[in-house]
Amino acid sequence: MRNSLKVAKWEYKRNIKNKSFLISLALTPILFILFATLPTLLSNTGNDDAATIYVHDEVNVLGELQDEAEPLGWNVQSAPVNQQAMMERVEDEENTAYLHITEEAVREGSVEVYTSDESDDLLQELSMIQGPIRTYQLSRLDLSEEQINAINKGINFIPAQSDPRESTSEGGTETSSADPLERLVPGIFAGIILFSILITGMMIFQSASQEKKDKVAESILSSITPNDLMQGKIIGYFGLGLTQVFVWSGFALPLMVWLLDDVPIIEYLFVPELALLVFIAILGYLLFAAIFVGIGATIEDVNASSNFQGIIMLLPFLPFFFIGPVLSDPEGIIATIGSYIPITAPALLLVRLSVLEAWPWVDISLAIVILLISVWLFMKLAGKVFQVGILMYGKNATPQEIWKWLRA
Amino acid sequence: MSEKVLTVNQLGKSFKKTRIVEGISFDVYKGEIMAILGPNGAGKSTTIRNIMGIMYPDEGEIIFHNHGKEIPRHKIGYLPEERGLYKNVKVMDILLYLAELKNYPLKKAKKRVEEYLEKFDLKGKEKVSVEELSKGMAQKIQFIGAIIHEPELLILDEPFSGLDPVSQEVFKEEIRSLADNGTAILLSSHQMNLVEELCDRLFMIHKGRKVITGLMENVKEEYANFKCTIVGENDEQLFEQLPMVQRIEQKGIVTVIHLNQDVQIPLWLKELPSNLMIQELSIDRISLHEIFVDVATGHKGERKGGKLHA
Repeated sequence: MRNSLKVAKWEYKRNIKNKSFLISLALTPILFILFATLPTLLSNTGNDDAATIYVHDEVNVLGELQDEAEPLGWNVQSAPVNQQAMMERVEDEENTAYLHITEEAVREGSVEVYTSDESDDLLQELSMIQGPIRTYQLSRLDLSEEQINAINKGINFIPAQSDPRESTSEGGTETSSADPLERLVPGIFAGIILFSILITGMMIFQSASQEKKDKVAESILSSITPNDLMQGKIIGYFGLGLTQVFVWSGFALPLMVWLLDDVPIIEYLFVPELALLVFIAILGYLLFAAIFVGIGATIEDVNASSNFQGIIMLLPFLPFFFIGPVLSDPEGIIATIGSYIPITAPALLLVRLSVLEAWPWVDISLAIVILLISVWLFMKLAGKVFQVGILMYGKNATPQEIWKWLRA
Repeated sequence: MSEKVLTVNQLGKSFKKTRIVEGISFDVYKGEIMAILGPNGAGKSTTIRNIMGIMYPDEGEIIFHNHGKEIPRHKIGYLPEERGLYKNVKVMDILLYLAELKNYPLKKAKKRVEEYLEKFDLKGKEKVSVEELSKGMAQKIQFIGAIIHEPELLILDEPFSGLDPVSQEVFKEEIRSLADNGTAILLSSHQMNLVEELCDRLFMIHKGRKVITGLMENVKEEYANFKCTIVGENDEQLFEQLPMVQRIEQKGIVTVIHLNQDVQIPLWLKELPSNLMIQELSIDRISLHEIFVDVATGHKGERKGGKLHA
């Protein structure tokens, strides 16, 4: 174990000083922030200069229109000049409209609008402030206020529960389920941990393969056992993965807290459930780390690796196929079976536990036991492959050879 | 002879159904340089890897005297034949890592690295990245890595391969001085002239079996027979009547006559046929190199009972 830690320390130090690791460490959150904010920024640019609506008001609704337009950020004002001049002015200005509201227009139900050619969107959006004009129109019909309200309200379709029990239970758990984020936040965090250490886990593959290519293995193995070396790599890259999580969280948490200032992210995050979720993420890492380190030791030339090794590299992405069905039915048959398959278990358990209200403890326990046994088994098998593979120079191991080592 | 450090006893190893080595036995003593020789594929590296515990022998035993059953990894220095260094690290960092893996104190290691870098003409390269080193420089760094922890037993697999003559000389001197300071050294090499100059004892294997073993001087006395080289156009039949001849090799106008061990040169010269065409004639002893080639090409098989024990 002491030797493993020495290797772990070395692998950690070696990579943390590596420029490409540092760049990806810093660049990923920057890219993430960019992708998260850029679309909003871009879509905002159109609305940056708020629309200006000039109104020729013969029916005295300007005040109500201004109230109605305020949430939209529009600037509604009385037309300063006559119709002809206004028509010319909106031609030249962007995002500007001129409403010509007259008694006749209200009676007819069609108000003339002048906009520049580019302002088609604005024409559509104007319907959002039609309320005051419509109210005025209805008030001309000598209707009671109740009648006007009824007409203005229209008909809404409201979703209703067919099963009365569900609707009551919904009412009962109203307080706890008020915010799905409460479950989601720790789950997402654990997901980030899993994702991040999986990415660094793939670096183990590189590292084991590179060790062969650089022919360092034999020198190192004159000092320590292959198992020490393998465990050291797994621990070292785990450390790198965690560093990545901490750095990324350092970026992401303040950002999230700032963006979602009405959601108590921090309180949601540091709950007892997080420990279990992180535990599952770590088991997931250990499983894939074992696979990667073993396979890495069989490959000297990554370019010449066969389809067989390529397929294994894709294994961590297998859960993505299940995520759709699992999200739509977190307690369904696919979700349950997926949780019992070690390769898909970590990711699917995280997804299920993030969306499920009540945790199926029997299910979870069984899945974790299976995962634990698999981790132990994969580590042992990886040890066997690593031991022989890392010293085999000059060629990649074939699946047949690997099978032979496994049985040895 | 001084104390034994390593004993290899009846070592045997097979891959699949091929015997790689069989019945290999030898000792390495404190302060001596023992050469393990043989053509490519003879089983040298396999023998060494079994000693290092990188492979496990099918038969036989490896004994490290003064130590228990476990391989005393911290007391062994090893320069493998297939060697390399991590690329994107600094020279000092990797050497200290190798020392740390051997549980060697960091401070002492640092001091030794500096000393050796100076000795190997690499002063000031501590902070240089490994990938910027030339092949020869990298090999020196690997050598330092193998001896940084003052090993009791140093195993060098082809230490001279890829080195220029000047560096070979530096390595040779260092290996000699390590042995003089009590390190037991086992080395394999193809550079016979270096082995001849450097080693105290040798163990030659061919096709996984022992062929020759003994003290260097004894082996040379036993095997380094005289040979007579004649340049001139002569029929091979002319030489067949000559006494004390082991074998005759003829290539174009050059004839090499390998002579028996107890030949007396002045007497033998008188036996040469008078009608011989001689442009040049020389008599000298065959070198270790030729013994090696003889073994590799199977000529040694012609000699019976050619075994010698130290």
